[in-house]
Amino acid sequence: MLRQLISANMNSLLRHFLILTAMLVSSGLFAQSGGEDFMRSMGKMYVVVAVIVAIFIGIVLFLIFLDKRLTKLENQIKENGKAR
Amino acid sequence: MVKHWWKILGVALLIFAFTAGLLTPIRPGINDIQPTAVVAGQTVSLTLTGYNTDFNQEQAPKVILWKDGDHIINALGVSVLNSRQVQATFQLPTAFPLDEINELKVSTSDPANGFITALPRLRISGMEKGGEAAASAWTGTIENTDSKGGFTFPYLPNIYESVRNTFYHVALWFAMFTLFTLGVIASIRYLLTRNVMFEQRAVSYTSVGILFGILGLITGAIWAQYTWNKAWSWDIKQTMTAIVLLIYGAYFVLRISFEDSDQKARISAVYNIFAFASIIPLLYVIPRITESLHPGGQGNPAFSRGDLDNNVRMIFYPAIIGWILLGLWMAQLNFRMMKIKERLLENEY
Repeated sequence: MLRQLISANMNSLLRHFLILTAMLVSSGLFAQSGGEDFMRSMGKMYVVVAVIVAIFIGIVLFLIFLDKRLTKLENQIKENGKAR
Repeated sequence: MVKHWWKILGVALLIFAFTAGLLTPIRPGINDIQPTAVVAGQTVSLTLTGYNTDFNQEQAPKVILWKDGDHIINALGVSVLNSRQVQATFQLPTAFPLDEINELKVSTSDPANGFITALPRLRISGMEKGGEAAASAWTGTIENTDSKGGFTFPYLPNIYESVRNTFYHVALWFAMFTLFTLGVIASIRYLLTRNVMFEQRAVSYTSVGILFGILGLITGAIWAQYTWNKAWSWDIKQTMTAIVLLIYGAYFVLRISFEDSDQKARISAVYNIFAFASIIPLLYVIPRITESLHPGGQGNPAFSRGDLDNNVRMIFYPAIIGWILLGLWMAQLNFRMMKIKERLLENEY
């Protein structure tokens, strides 16, 4: 149980960390490649790009999370099959 | 295939929201007038700088200074500097018939760009109240007052192209709220029936709701960085949303901390109802009564009247449905995984 608790906590910690990096990357990357004026150029069009990228990263993180949990279940099913 | 119709519909609506939302042009506008202030009675030359405009010399725009439909001054001469800039010369009268005035609207009209009223007003000093005698100077006319045709988005100061975020950032909040609502309904049904399936549904809806909430907060911060110049300004709406997400975050902490699955389900269902109840004051009442940078500061928390153009609505509403359906799909995947996990614990595999 303790192990489960720690791994669940680690999972959520990891998730928060990833989300934070995603946030920094999506706003930081654009800012670095040409200063703030780049984001404001073309009528602030790149703000829309950054928003879409952030949402996309969020959905991908959800997929990664789901993938990991499904893998765990698959392994468990495999082990149960062997035990029988 | 048939039972997946709602997933296909959701994806189709989102594809529509992404293509139409990104390809539709912004209506032409004028965002700068130089000089910004003039003195009555003088001859002035104004340089107007447009956004998304396509001025050309052959069909030079008609430029007017005006107070209302009955009081218009036509430009003496107009020259197009480039597709973005127009220079217009005006002979300013010394008096206005009805009142003392200190600002005038500036508009242009031509076939390519339609009728555009500049966002800034022209400040004017020394304009006196002149009575009927002054009326002769204000008899200018303008023929075409239709704005540019075709499907376009409004030109908003400071927002410009990022008006498109309405379909991604704003619509995501609507989807989040729908998911939380479905979550709390499932929690209530769990408490009524004690069927663990409803509890699993509640968890799935709520977790996707939280993901959308976090994304809403992040996308909001990105948008805020370039409109308010500060990603996080402790604005009432940002702060209250962060509190709501923390309350919901505690829902999952709560779930981890119980070993007995029955107890876990019961307590988290009750907590979910509490968390949902907290949304209403935090997101829908407090932001209405305090000042905020966010649109619709007082009144509706998301929009002020007139923020949403009809053309924006035509993409905004499908986008909301699209995000909701995508959220439901994500929640359903999570729910199916939880069902497998439960059966695995009962040694059915």
